[in-house]
Amino acid sequence: MLDVTARIVEGLLFASDRPLSLDEICDLTGSGPETVTGALERIQAALEEEGHAMILQEAAGSWRMVTDPGVGSSVAQLFEDRRPGRLSRAAVEALAVIAYNQPCTRAAIEAIRGVNCDSALKSLLERGLIRISGRQETPGRPLTYSTTEGFLNYFGLNDIDHLPRKREIEELIGSGGDGEGDAPSETDLFGS
Amino acid sequence: MSSDACRISLEQFEGPLDLLLYLIKRDELDIREVPMARVASQYLDYIREAEELDLDIASEYLVMAATLASIKSRALLPSRSVEVEEDPGRALMRQLVLYRAFKEVAAELRESEEIWRNAFPSAGERERWVTDAPRTTSPGEVTLLDLIEAMDSLSAVPEEPVQKYRRPELKISECIEMISTRLRHGRGTSFRDLVGATLDRRIIVAFFITLLELSRQGLVTFTQPVPFGELVLVRSEGWV
Repeated sequence: MLDVTARIVEGLLFASDRPLSLDEICDLTGSGPETVTGALERIQAALEEEGHAMILQEAAGSWRMVTDPGVGSSVAQLFEDRRPGRLSRAAVEALAVIAYNQPCTRAAIEAIRGVNCDSALKSLLERGLIRISGRQETPGRPLTYSTTEGFLNYFGLNDIDHLPRKREIEELIGSGGDGEGDAPSETDLFGS
Repeated sequence: MSSDACRISLEQFEGPLDLLLYLIKRDELDIREVPMARVASQYLDYIREAEELDLDIASEYLVMAATLASIKSRALLPSRSVEVEEDPGRALMRQLVLYRAFKEVAAELRESEEIWRNAFPSAGERERWVTDAPRTTSPGEVTLLDLIEAMDSLSAVPEEPVQKYRRPELKISECIEMISTRLRHGRGTSFRDLVGATLDRRIIVAFFITLLELSRQGLVTFTQPVPFGELVLVRSEGWV
């Protein structure tokens, strides 16, 4: 039997239409971060113990309640016609280049992949996995792209440092770069 | 080149680097010590095969083919001790190593995608799902991308329209008028004199056509005072 705080947190996560950050849960429950973290752990333990089909997912520094991927194929039947499809290979590759190399111009992505990536970028933008983060101060002032919180959620990553093989890839970019991988001087286009 | 390799279509590759990685992996070569000349030959065979099958080859593949051809030819030449430029083979090798790394992490991301896209969120979140189906946008509902595209299409228009002007046309009737004046007193003239120093092809053509017509009607005749010399144009008796 869960305690009152844990029950409130569970209710919030179930009903929320977006992932909730620790701060938000603290505000909504009027509790401190330690209390909330404890409550989250107890909810997780309780769900696991009884083998529930609901799990807590922590991604992008926020929490949400989702169905267990183990029952995913059955649940998917409910949404077959409107569930977003898998990303194309081109899109995942372009996304990987942006994720490890952001902010990143289209030319830099194409230099690494060796092919045009217009349509991949378009689909990533539409799905909210990347955003236009500014312009690079080089001739032509090309747009630069960065990943979004939606990207972290989509891949279940807590933050950008949790990307697989982060350090290794960064070293490769650093040594293999013909200047493309260098961090450009970015201007924030939208003053975010 | 084995025939089974040819049957693999270019479509399954994400570009020339992907194809190269496939060739390297197929022959179990170490990417850092790839015999570039050999891989280049295989790649070029591949592209030639695709060309023979009349497949539409993306320009990226052809650019890579050119790079490989130059790497190959360089490998055949005796190496000089002083190299000013970086060996293109080495540059390509570095590019391959980097691309392979991204391909591998892309595969890892793909695995995470497979897990988490099967974890279904609350109804509220599901409402924000973006489907791949073509979207209809209602008025007032535009994305940042739409705005930027609109802006780009505006800036692509040249600020001032290109000014057009028509060169004055020369009518056949005007040509007849001019020829008539020139030949009035029974004096002959040459085509060169008639046309003058103009380089405007249309004027030359106009006079030429006019003369053909006048000669057909028997109104002008040509004489040639000297063999292989210039023709002299004379007005016929019939031209009143």
